[in-house]
Amino acid sequence: MQKREDAVIHIPDDIYSKLTFLIGDSEYISNTPVVVYDELRVEFLSDLSKKLLGQQNIRDYPDVATFAFWCRKSNLLRIMNDQDVDHLRLGLGLAFHICPSNVPVNFAFSLAFGILSGNTCVVRLPSNNHESSIIIVKALSDLLHSTKYVDVVKFIHLIKFERDDHVNQFWMSVADARIVWGGDATVSLMRKYDCKPRSREVVFPDRFSLCAINAEYVLQVTKNELDAICKNLFNDIYIMDQNACSSPQLFAWVGNDKSVINRAKKILWSDFSNHVQERHDLEPIHYMNKYVNACKNAIQYDNIVSIKHENNLLFHIELSNFHDKQQDQRGYFGTIQEVSINTLDELSEIIDDRCQTLTYLGFSKDYLHRFVVDNQLRGIDRIVPIGRSLDMGTIWDGYDIIGHLSRIVHIY
Amino acid sequence: MIDLKNTSTFNLSQPKKEEFLIEILNNLTEFHLENCQEYNSLMSKFKRVDAKAKSIEDVPFLPVRLFKHVDFLSIPQSKVIKTMTSSGTSGQEVSRIYLDKETSALQIKVLSKIVSDFIGPHRLPMLVIDSKSIISNRKKFSARTAGVLGFSMFGRDVEFALDDDMSFNFDRVREFIEKYKDENILIFGFTFIIWKHFVEELERLDVKVNISNGILIHGGGWKQIESQSVSNEEYKERLYNITNIRKIHNYYGMVEQAGSIFMECEYGFLHASSFSDIIIRDHANYTSQDIGTRGLIQLLSVIPKSYPGHSLLSEDIGEIYGADDCQCGRKGKYFKVYGRVKNAETRGCSDTYT
Repeated sequence: MQKREDAVIHIPDDIYSKLTFLIGDSEYISNTPVVVYDELRVEFLSDLSKKLLGQQNIRDYPDVATFAFWCRKSNLLRIMNDQDVDHLRLGLGLAFHICPSNVPVNFAFSLAFGILSGNTCVVRLPSNNHESSIIIVKALSDLLHSTKYVDVVKFIHLIKFERDDHVNQFWMSVADARIVWGGDATVSLMRKYDCKPRSREVVFPDRFSLCAINAEYVLQVTKNELDAICKNLFNDIYIMDQNACSSPQLFAWVGNDKSVINRAKKILWSDFSNHVQERHDLEPIHYMNKYVNACKNAIQYDNIVSIKHENNLLFHIELSNFHDKQQDQRGYFGTIQEVSINTLDELSEIIDDRCQTLTYLGFSKDYLHRFVVDNQLRGIDRIVPIGRSLDMGTIWDGYDIIGHLSRIVHIY
Repeated sequence: MIDLKNTSTFNLSQPKKEEFLIEILNNLTEFHLENCQEYNSLMSKFKRVDAKAKSIEDVPFLPVRLFKHVDFLSIPQSKVIKTMTSSGTSGQEVSRIYLDKETSALQIKVLSKIVSDFIGPHRLPMLVIDSKSIISNRKKFSARTAGVLGFSMFGRDVEFALDDDMSFNFDRVREFIEKYKDENILIFGFTFIIWKHFVEELERLDVKVNISNGILIHGGGWKQIESQSVSNEEYKERLYNITNIRKIHNYYGMVEQAGSIFMECEYGFLHASSFSDIIIRDHANYTSQDIGTRGLIQLLSVIPKSYPGHSLLSEDIGEIYGADDCQCGRKGKYFKVYGRVKNAETRGCSDTYT
């Protein structure tokens, strides 16, 4: 049977000449959508997962492995099952992605979200060539050469181009959705361009994340549980060295008995310190950046009571209270800024729309639910147990990304 | 007060020198704790408020980069007579160092004691490998201005080898060399300026100038010519090839501790004088390292009183080769510098549209 011709967008010569295609070199870009979670596309991603996980050196690239693990078939099926299935959903058409340079695998997640939601994806990769992204691009390219995926090929375009207003403007003018990673400045830059009236945006500006620990709970855990807690905290703090928007910047100890908090701190941090010593090492410049940042903050912020560090891997910065610019007070590469509060509700004082992830230890889901509702919070989009702060998913930054990048066809 | 006159510059053995230094450094720590609010606040929060260090390793330090972010003053603003800035390349933040009369005078005295050990007690005819425009704005001091002006006190009949457009003026230089051919000449310049506008330029033109009676002193860092990976040995050799200068001394120092520089001896090692010292520290825990181990360089100096800069942790990598036993005969620690801590990629979600 003859298939209906795809609707296509022609890239003008002056724009085309400025593009470098890593995958999907074409002057004509389809903007024909398919249904969300299209079977062939799910198959494609799970094959990509297998291909990546099957690579010999995959252990050297934990970020690639994380992505590959995420897009294995069983996980994709789980995500599909969690979705609202009452409605028929199709992609919007053409999705244009701007991806950041300092999280190499980010483009892969963005691409996966875009194709799972039924769109053609044009993904602008950052100018640097990170090994992790080279590995994924190679795997994608290999897979797309197989005849099995001849119908997926035309929906994936990975491109590079120098910062250029004309090129950006072109893509914005034809895109049905734009996905912008990279922080406040990039988001506002991309908003300068004219977009189609019905185009949608999914943007990821700068965020602030924090962690709440129930002191009472820490006193009750077994040694094994304590080790597991340390492992989880380690992942939250050191995998991205607190540079990710979902990495905790502030640690709030919750408990109305100061002596309980003090005992809990002692137990947790001495174990954690040993744990970090065994597992981590930083680049010399990162030690220095952390130290200078701690000194700078000590002078700038009155709420800093003390700065303690046995070695340079882990800094503990004790805060007496919050101030109105609390979210500007940052720490990286293993800087634990900690404050003691009586109840979780006191935390609401510093929560605004910039807050993204609250990681927690020792609170029930019901209690956290009540905390959000009762305090009518303007911020916090994710509340996850410690250790899960970096888990990427189709629900992110308060968006249901698949939902946002697709449209409902209402049939009744 | 420091007894400069009766303290020899390079003759104190390391233990004697540390006895001499620790008292002065503790006094400085105490002075800054009392007079610089930012310093006091920082030290209080790090629980380092006592000024009774038992050894020079125990003297608390500040990261030198902090001077790019914080204005440190241990004197009233009204006493500031000079503000020095680091030579940050465009776009970078620069350090601001505030000097009063006392600190400024001490810088000159210490520098003079150190340099005279290498060029002798008398002023020499001086050729600056730079343009005269570098010293025109005297209120705002860049490291280059400070260097040229600082060293000018060891010279007389100062001549500049470069024109304002940084081109080499052969006529002026030849005339100068001819005039002073029978005495020692002091030649001074910045490491990368000498390299770019003197060595490479003369090599390109295939011209030589004979200044075998010259003593060349250069400093300011290797960063700008690091990409060409020029070693100190190659630097000296190629300079010699075009000038016949044998006496070439690099110096290491920073605007945050101007005056107490570390001069390279005849055997290629940098030396700490009696008025300053260095300690090598491990990146991961800041413990002090033994001879022969590379690490971060901490610099101590008796000079900084108008600002808390007597003990600074730099971002330079160095290695101590020994103490009191350099073949040149100078006492104290001698060391080498291996450039700066490398910048590394930072992962994360900060603004990254590149």
